[in-house]
Amino acid sequence: MTALMEEDIKINTEEKSEKTEKGDTMSGRVIVITSGKGGVGKTTTNANIGTALARTGKKVVMIDTDLGLRNLDLLLGLENRIVYTIVDVVEERCKLKQALVKDKKNPNLCLLAAAQTRDKTAVTEEQLKDICEELKKDFDFILVDCPAGIEQGFQNAVAGASEAIVVTTPEMSAVRDADRIIGLLEAKEEIKSYKLLINRVRPNMIETNDMMSVEDVQEILSTPIIGVIPEDAGIITSTNKGEPIVNDNKSLAGLAYNNVARRIMGEDVPLLNLKEDNSVAGKVKKFFSNLFGKEK
Amino acid sequence: MKDIFTDLYNKVLGFFRQTENKQEEESAKDVACNRLKFVLMQDRTNLSPELMDRMRKELIDLLSKYVEMDKEALELGFEQEGSQMALMLSIPVVRAKEEAEIEAILAKEDEENAAKITATENEISDEDTSDNEIKDEESDNIDEDSSEDADEAETESAGDTNDTVEDISENVEISVNETHNKKSASKKEEKETVASK
Repeated sequence: MTALMEEDIKINTEEKSEKTEKGDTMSGRVIVITSGKGGVGKTTTNANIGTALARTGKKVVMIDTDLGLRNLDLLLGLENRIVYTIVDVVEERCKLKQALVKDKKNPNLCLLAAAQTRDKTAVTEEQLKDICEELKKDFDFILVDCPAGIEQGFQNAVAGASEAIVVTTPEMSAVRDADRIIGLLEAKEEIKSYKLLINRVRPNMIETNDMMSVEDVQEILSTPIIGVIPEDAGIITSTNKGEPIVNDNKSLAGLAYNNVARRIMGEDVPLLNLKEDNSVAGKVKKFFSNLFGKEK
Repeated sequence: MKDIFTDLYNKVLGFFRQTENKQEEESAKDVACNRLKFVLMQDRTNLSPELMDRMRKELIDLLSKYVEMDKEALELGFEQEGSQMALMLSIPVVRAKEEAEIEAILAKEDEENAAKITATENEISDEDTSDNEIKDEESDNIDEDSSEDADEAETESAGDTNDTVEDISENVEISVNETHNKKSASKKEEKETVASK
């Protein structure tokens, strides 16, 4: 493993001198995307934030740590391009660079896929930490897709990260599990900051007091919010096509994910006003914001 | 004509009933929020409603030595203040106790405690093995339920074969480890205990 990494370092430093004109070494941010509960949109969030960041010109790598249940490749439409997985890297069947799958559209975006035939014990915390350290030198952002649950898979995924995004929905079970995850993240010294992403928000149901609002969830979890994503049928079609929804400029969820990416990069972007969405004025506004989105 | 009026009357009445019902009925969102807050307090503190009740009773016993209070109106609960959790205790005081009265209660309690200690010392000296002492120390560290279990098991196994004693000590060890893990599991929980202290 160490010998392998030494070789990689040599390769990386050579490439770096070509790429970064300033000459300073790149030190990427490792962000783990986690939730506790399954099915709240971790992988969708990962694929979309990763794609959105790459669209701004940042170098992004996504690591799928959900061994045995990989899905990130499907969401990106890369399932047929995977030759090596993270387990192959760890077990020294290939170099780290060889295992990185480039995105179809965006050369700034890479995926390190999970092994589908192995279980969570195939990679250890230390090994994931090493991989993250290695990737930091070459990428601006390393997004780690965490498996559901709070067991070893979670511990592994969090090991190399210094930031976390906790994905939840305005449903009781998801919020409860998010609270548990936040408690665990707080106990981790390596995690310097964690933020909440509230997914699948239904403004109509919130208006009729049938669903917890963004404010309710924030109050209960007392955690800063990095983004609010509306429920969007487009997510399903985009998954079916293997095309992240941020590439669709007409989608409100896509716009919301793009905003999350901008916030990650330090921009002060206000949360989308989802309430206006159904009024005529809201639709006109949305139309114009989409126009501006296209220009960018 | 009469029908129209009764119909109208019923409609108007029905309208008011509906609005009344709406006000009385909690919205799904409020129900969710309240249930969540309640369940999260339990999750964060590891305190079940039974344990909360016990804590409440013990607090009443403790505090009523010093003040005469309205035991029914005592309010106990956790509240979130930003990222910090606080244990809130609200006690309506009925009457301040006389100094002599308090001292009398405390003196009586001291006597009782002293009597208890001598009683347990006698018990321990009766049982000759040193194993039991270690067991007692361990069971002090672990949480209520398991210590109770251990105590029960202890009384059952007193004077039994070596095998059962080993079994018990294994059980006790496991539960000690679990509580240690829980303690190291999250800083948040540590903070809470500090706050509640």
